[in-house]
Amino acid sequence: MKAELGIFMKFYFIGVLLLFLSGFVALMFNKKLKVPFISVASVISAILCTIPAFNALFKGENLVQTLNFGGVFNGINFVIDPLSAFFIVVISIMSCCAIIYANGYLKHYIEIGKNFCPHLIFLTSLVTSMLLVVTCQNALMFLICWEIMSLSSFFLVIFEHEKKEILKAGIKYLVFMHVSVIFIILAFAALSIEAGSFDFAAFTQVLQNNEQFANIIFLLAFIGFGTKAGFVPFHNWLPDAHPAAPSHVSAIMSGIMIKTGIYGILRILALIAIPSKIIAFGVLIISVISALYGVLYAITQHDLKRLLAYHSIENIGIIGIGIGVGMIGLTYGSGLVALCGFAGAILHVLNHSIFKQLLFLSAGSVYTKTHTRDVEILGGLIKSMPATAILFLIGSVAICGLPPFNGFISEFLVYAGMLKGLAINNFFVILALIFAIAGLALVGTMAILCFTKVFSIVFLGMPRSDKASNVTEDTGLSMIIPMSFLAILTLLIGLCPQFVFNMLKAPVEVLSSHAIEFSNAPTDILQQISIFALLFFGIVVGLCVLKCILCKGKIQFHETWGCGYDRPNNRMQYSASSYASPFLSMLKPLFKKIFDVEKPKKLFPKSAHFSLHIDDIEEAYIINPLIKFDEWFLSKFEKMQSGNLQSYMKYGLIFLVLIIIGCLIF
Amino acid sequence: MLTQILNLIILLFVPFLMMGIIKKTKAFWAGKKGASVFQPIFDFVRLIKKDFVISNTTSVVFKITPIISIATAIAAALFVPLAFGKAVINIPAGIIVFAYTLGLGKFFALISAMDTGSSFEGMGASREASFTTIVEPAFFTVIASIMALTGNYTFDSLTQILDNAGNYGVLIIIFAVVALFLMILIEGSRVPVDDPATHLELTMIHEVMILDNSGSDLALIMWANSIKMFLISSLIANILLPQTLETYTFAGLYLLIMFAISVIIGTIESGMARIRMSHVFEFVFIMSSLALVVLSLVVARMFGG
Repeated sequence: MKAELGIFMKFYFIGVLLLFLSGFVALMFNKKLKVPFISVASVISAILCTIPAFNALFKGENLVQTLNFGGVFNGINFVIDPLSAFFIVVISIMSCCAIIYANGYLKHYIEIGKNFCPHLIFLTSLVTSMLLVVTCQNALMFLICWEIMSLSSFFLVIFEHEKKEILKAGIKYLVFMHVSVIFIILAFAALSIEAGSFDFAAFTQVLQNNEQFANIIFLLAFIGFGTKAGFVPFHNWLPDAHPAAPSHVSAIMSGIMIKTGIYGILRILALIAIPSKIIAFGVLIISVISALYGVLYAITQHDLKRLLAYHSIENIGIIGIGIGVGMIGLTYGSGLVALCGFAGAILHVLNHSIFKQLLFLSAGSVYTKTHTRDVEILGGLIKSMPATAILFLIGSVAICGLPPFNGFISEFLVYAGMLKGLAINNFFVILALIFAIAGLALVGTMAILCFTKVFSIVFLGMPRSDKASNVTEDTGLSMIIPMSFLAILTLLIGLCPQFVFNMLKAPVEVLSSHAIEFSNAPTDILQQISIFALLFFGIVVGLCVLKCILCKGKIQFHETWGCGYDRPNNRMQYSASSYASPFLSMLKPLFKKIFDVEKPKKLFPKSAHFSLHIDDIEEAYIINPLIKFDEWFLSKFEKMQSGNLQSYMKYGLIFLVLIIIGCLIF
Repeated sequence: MLTQILNLIILLFVPFLMMGIIKKTKAFWAGKKGASVFQPIFDFVRLIKKDFVISNTTSVVFKITPIISIATAIAAALFVPLAFGKAVINIPAGIIVFAYTLGLGKFFALISAMDTGSSFEGMGASREASFTTIVEPAFFTVIASIMALTGNYTFDSLTQILDNAGNYGVLIIIFAVVALFLMILIEGSRVPVDDPATHLELTMIHEVMILDNSGSDLALIMWANSIKMFLISSLIANILLPQTLETYTFAGLYLLIMFAISVIIGTIESGMARIRMSHVFEFVFIMSSLALVVLSLVVARMFGG
């Protein structure tokens, strides 16, 4: 490492190194000081990393640093271009919040004396590897960072590995990641062979000259990166891995790590420059399906974190719709459509990481206090945990894409791109876009259904069990502060979108390889929306305050109206399953329902219960049969493993002979 | 400026008048004299003055919901073309702001119903949420098809159908208007989806969600609901009226259409019973099919021979 470092790149590398080492240095500290130490390190590293990132974002220039490690690892380029810079900002700021939150979340585990040192090392190495993945422009080094990222997140998922189902979820995650990485390796290997170099810059030439080749590479990369991101049908690991992990880890994984998959797709796209039409439509359609699938299964879930995990699939779908719209804009030469689509997608990456973290962290707070993730036995928590409840409410409104929060802005941009795209006079474009618009509208309303369900069942009404009614106090400040920070961010982006939008232009230019001129129209629209949102927010807050003042003393309290019945109890409240039931009964064929019923029998019934579990249709009909087939097929070879040394030597001999014969023939 | 002030006056009074006319029409068909068409305004004033009774179970969500309902309804009105064919904030993709602002109101209406912990209100909320999931995509399909036809993605495109559609214009307008009319029935909870005059909590949808609201809270929610109905009717009026009309003729015809819609709603309520709850979904899907018809007509017009 003797090459000269530019001052900004120096900041970046010091930040990354600092964070990486802090995990190991923390080992030397007292067990109560370990997490605070890492939090401080992560804050410093976030500041160090975001300085060059903001520089690249606003000036639109690339910072390049070549490192030599010897051998094939010579001349490895680390580049902070606006696209990487945007992801660096997301990764460093968001991971900072999650790590600070871990102070409170891990307290319980510190008290029971669990060994969490490896956990901290993997936490820092996960964030470090993510930061490196988005800047590394060398295929080989990229794959190494990618693998470190996958492995460290695997170890984070199995934090409570003594529980069997958590280990199982972790292993499923590991398998999925390694199947997906094969596709990425294939894509990069093909590119490197064609280009004769591992450097991304060399790939551009190959990809832009041969459209067929570019399509195949994109397909491979989409499967590989799409598995990480959670596009349907490669999403299956997500709903298992997120609930298994501790909350701050699921926040990092769902909020940030799956976005590296999006980064990968965007990076390949930037290399291709103008994608072919079939890719553009393919991405749009798969994304609409992902979004619908994710939110549909989210409605069926009663496990708080599993539900949020399915919502990640939905939001990845929305990001994908934005990317698809942007690609359609590029291929049909409409700058405004491309700008709106890509800007919406990239902004949604940031927005989703903010509100999804907020939601996962507040779900974690609920878990630390109630020790359950089953929403059906919670309720009334807004009285005992008011701060968490309000924060969760803000997160839910934002994730539904409602104004004046940030989710609305990115969805608005995507919608605007689609509506503008309707002016492209092409049969397929119009049909695809209208179905995407209707699909996104359906996703939005289903998200409203889902989040009104989960918020009201968990936080409103009366407690449905002792676990919920025993909660006496809200969580500590170390957990509230990072969440409040995220909540304020959602509101700020929602109220002043035009400033954030200016940040998005440079990354979009990278995506379109400067091929298209962009107009200034969206900024003006966002300006008007911003004024509207500010006024709206101000008036609503003003009216609420006014109401508090005016209505003092005019309020009487009474029981809830029960149609004349005045002894309602907690179990008479509406439950989450019944809330979702009218909607789900309409879509019966899309689920595999597993009932577990014991009806009350005879005159004096003793025990009776009812439970309903809804299986992921893809897991039930595609993944499981595949695994069964695999087991059956491999069992045919069981005889080979006889445990007999002689026969193993025989195999070796046969193998050698085969190789010699092969060499002689070819 | 004058048009904006007139728009504001229309926004403040016409929703009440529409409610009044619906009730008057129902009274007429029932052979009664009925209350004055201004009765909803008097009701509003009377309710505003009253004290509240609030359930013990409720939280802050329940208290702020009426304010959010009315604020979102009025805010959404800013993005819709009213009596003069132009929205106050006439931005591209204004339909998104319109729909999502109303969505915010709906979100809070739903959680406020759940806040009381009452099983009846939960039932209403769950039904309302499920119907919305089908209505919204259909609504977006209708509007997006019209936007594709006119190549204009502001709400202005509603008045430009005839200029762009040629022979298909009338058909497109008819199907779009019927689709939006069904949306009024569903979103405004009118017969045959919901009966606002029913007394049985089990069969209610929207009314049951506000069982526990009283006093000025109730007044605001009712007002917001009538504004919502008014806004969708405005869209219908704008689809029906061509942009070539003179400003005040346009406004006059607009008002006429609004009152005609109220009369039609009142007549339907008098002549028809509500559908069985389990069949409501089928009714709601009619709107989706109409939306698809609009889409196919537009596509036929643009790419057919």
